[in-house]
Amino acid sequence: MAGAIIENMSTKKLVIVGVILLLFQAFSFMVGGLIAPSPTTAIHYMATKCVDNVKSHYMSKKWFMPWGPNHCDKVRDFDEATAKKIEANNIVFAVHIPMPNKEMSPWFQFMLVILQFDIAFKMYNQIEDGAVVTVDVGLAYRDDSLGEWTEMAHSIEQRKLSCNFTTPKTIDNEGRYYECDLMPLMELGCVFHKYYLLNIRLPVSDHKKVNRGIGEIKDIRLVGIHQNGGFTKVWFAMKTFLTPSILIIMIWYWRRITMMSRPPVLLEKVIFALGISMTFINIPVEWFSVGFEWTWMLLFGDIRQGIFYAMLLSFWIIFCGEHLMDQMERNRFSVYWKQVGPIVFGSFCLFIFDMCERGVQLTNPFYSIWASDVGTELAMAFIIVAGICACLYFLFLCFMVFQVFRNISGKRTSLPAMTKARRLHYEGLIFRFKFLMLVTLACAAMTVIFFIISQVNEGHWHWGDYTVQVNSAFFTGIYGMWNLYVFALMFLYAPSHKRYGDEQSSGDQVGNSGEDIQLTTTITHVDGPTEVYKMMRKEAQE
Amino acid sequence: MDLYLVGYIMCMWLSSSRVLGGYPIWWSLALGQQYTSLGSQPILCGSIPGLVPKQLRFCRNYIEIMPSVAEGVKLGIQECQHQFRGRRWNCTTIKDNLAIFGPVLDKATRESAFVHAIASAGVAFAVTRSCAEGTSTMCGCDSHHKGPPGEGWKWGGCSEDAEFGVLVSREFADARENRPDARSAMNRHNNEAGRMTILENMHLRCKCHGLSGSCEVKTCWWAQPDFRLLGDYLKDKYDSASEMVVEKHRESRGWVETLRAKYAFFKHPTERDLVYYEGSPNFCEPNPETGSFGTRDRVCNVSSHGIEGCDLLCCGRGHNTRTEKRKEKCHCIFHWCCYVSCQECVRVYDVHTCK
Repeated sequence: MAGAIIENMSTKKLVIVGVILLLFQAFSFMVGGLIAPSPTTAIHYMATKCVDNVKSHYMSKKWFMPWGPNHCDKVRDFDEATAKKIEANNIVFAVHIPMPNKEMSPWFQFMLVILQFDIAFKMYNQIEDGAVVTVDVGLAYRDDSLGEWTEMAHSIEQRKLSCNFTTPKTIDNEGRYYECDLMPLMELGCVFHKYYLLNIRLPVSDHKKVNRGIGEIKDIRLVGIHQNGGFTKVWFAMKTFLTPSILIIMIWYWRRITMMSRPPVLLEKVIFALGISMTFINIPVEWFSVGFEWTWMLLFGDIRQGIFYAMLLSFWIIFCGEHLMDQMERNRFSVYWKQVGPIVFGSFCLFIFDMCERGVQLTNPFYSIWASDVGTELAMAFIIVAGICACLYFLFLCFMVFQVFRNISGKRTSLPAMTKARRLHYEGLIFRFKFLMLVTLACAAMTVIFFIISQVNEGHWHWGDYTVQVNSAFFTGIYGMWNLYVFALMFLYAPSHKRYGDEQSSGDQVGNSGEDIQLTTTITHVDGPTEVYKMMRKEAQE
Repeated sequence: MDLYLVGYIMCMWLSSSRVLGGYPIWWSLALGQQYTSLGSQPILCGSIPGLVPKQLRFCRNYIEIMPSVAEGVKLGIQECQHQFRGRRWNCTTIKDNLAIFGPVLDKATRESAFVHAIASAGVAFAVTRSCAEGTSTMCGCDSHHKGPPGEGWKWGGCSEDAEFGVLVSREFADARENRPDARSAMNRHNNEAGRMTILENMHLRCKCHGLSGSCEVKTCWWAQPDFRLLGDYLKDKYDSASEMVVEKHRESRGWVETLRAKYAFFKHPTERDLVYYEGSPNFCEPNPETGSFGTRDRVCNVSSHGIEGCDLLCCGRGHNTRTEKRKEKCHCIFHWCCYVSCQECVRVYDVHTCK
């Protein structure tokens, strides 16, 4: 008897495997929910207004510290600056990351900084439509709290102001603040140094019309977001644990396939490829980011995730296609170009988009594709194309799933005419196929539900003394879930070892018997007739 | 004889503290330029008038927070003056007096309730703000986490939103409101109401930064509102403040005064509502006893029928009108920060002042 393990496994064993997997699943949720802190932290920084007394400020490479022993000359507000006749070009907004008595750590993995302006409404100095703020921003680091600052990046960036004023624009409401959208300022793919310093200027130039009509900026606020060290550690631990598990089952799976006398079929290859892409995500290369300044890790992580998602989506299509149970010969990748094409194209679009954003950020951390009009349009185009591809893909997928179920129910109607043993076996096969479909659906639904919960929820729940980090539980749980999914797939769809490889007889399957019921999956296509099919033949011979 | 003298001094001290008892003299921090400006010499805690021992201790321990406390009171007073700009009582402060609002706040009126609330909110607001500037090493969250200092931050980070500011305000502004009398209870309540306003009005901002910037990973944080919004909110609370009556109870430590809502059929005041138990003077005529400055010579709005209109503001005394030529800046080109280039125009205004 040949066939996949899932076909030969008794229901009892299947239940046991299912329970074990569920236990692991619960464990992975608990690791995130109970051990790990929340995935990320956001910290508010209010920029300190420093006064640059040097006239030719563009020449000076001086760094302005907001506090500490060498802090700069500060002004509290711009009325004070006006009184002291300080020019805009001599005002430097300084922000030290992190707060006093703290230091950053490579465990934070990434850091992104968001820019926010506090702009007061003034009757005669309103924000003009389409106003653009030009910021001259520099980033420096040091690893010793008294050392010299080393420049990391310097750039002149433009950001569009999109602010609205909700109350009526009357003289009474002067002094109220506009509500402005958040603007991305910076993204670092690696937090290798202990202290960072941002110096921001808003240069004003009349003849170049730089920073005109931007309203009365009262303050600059920054929000620094980084991954929590604890979460990183839990995440790394999880990856380090999962890598060998998936790797071992993958080797076991491939050994089984090569031990067979027939070449592997498409579905087997695709499952193996899925295993490879899962391992590729799992391999904890991020450990290196603790010791090396690898800023491309963020981009690399995106690429790895993208490859896995593309692989998973392709697998679903091929899985459905190979279970269509019509008489068409598939088993070739080229048959599926229509369905896989959108996935590849969509992922490629997202890859280009990511390269444009995070790729460029490798050289200029202040770059944002959304800052310019052309960039925004380009980015939107990529995202829309990717979205269309995704829709197309899901249409195909839904159609194929519908076809599979229609075929199954078609076969079902002829079930009562069969003998008891054959019928039971058929029903078992259909049940197990549906079971896997259901597992896939359940996984997808879980992902969506948890995603929504983590979006709606504010991040943690309190149960008595315990704080459950919902967002962390989402990340570890879903990550663990897809790992278990791939694990289960490789385990259940590996060829059964019950007498494999010794039956090469009668490979053709088209209408060999009088009955036209064929529940064939490609796993057994080439290897020979399925168990059922053979039973049918035996009966025919009888 | 000595005993008499001691007794006399004690009496004097008690009576003087009784007079100033309802009055947070330390608010004069807000007017002293030396306390809030940056870069000047550090604050001398001993030189701040009207601190009770607990506040003095606080000041000495957390000297770096004190400029923000002063800034906060100043912010509160400015907001008070903005909110009450057209009213009979316009939150006037008096220079050269320790009781910066004059005797107005001696009575347990709505106005007192509002000023206490906005000042304590201002302190919480300004401290939170200065924490975000990194000027103080106190504001942090290491104390919330167990383990060695610094490790908690690396493990789970910290988002110190407004809690620290509220804590400081509670410690400092409420330090003197520990007497068992009704006024203390009222001040405590109103201070807390002011601080609650901040926590109530924090708004959530979020940023998505997952795969390709998708919302797979989203980080949210609470941001402090514009202080004007807090002023608006507290002004509403001023308009709907609850009148209370004083009740005396005998307790083990002596007589304790508590407040009870005067009208049982109105909704009971929550901790976010302002409370008072004495009626306000009408502020129409100058009265040194109540601290009213009167509304004579106040500019009023002839076209308005509201409280800032000439009818109400002038308390029916009528108003004078004169025309005034003013040189004004016009056709201005604003440059960000610190510099405006304008032309000068002359405009004619009708100015109405109360008789």
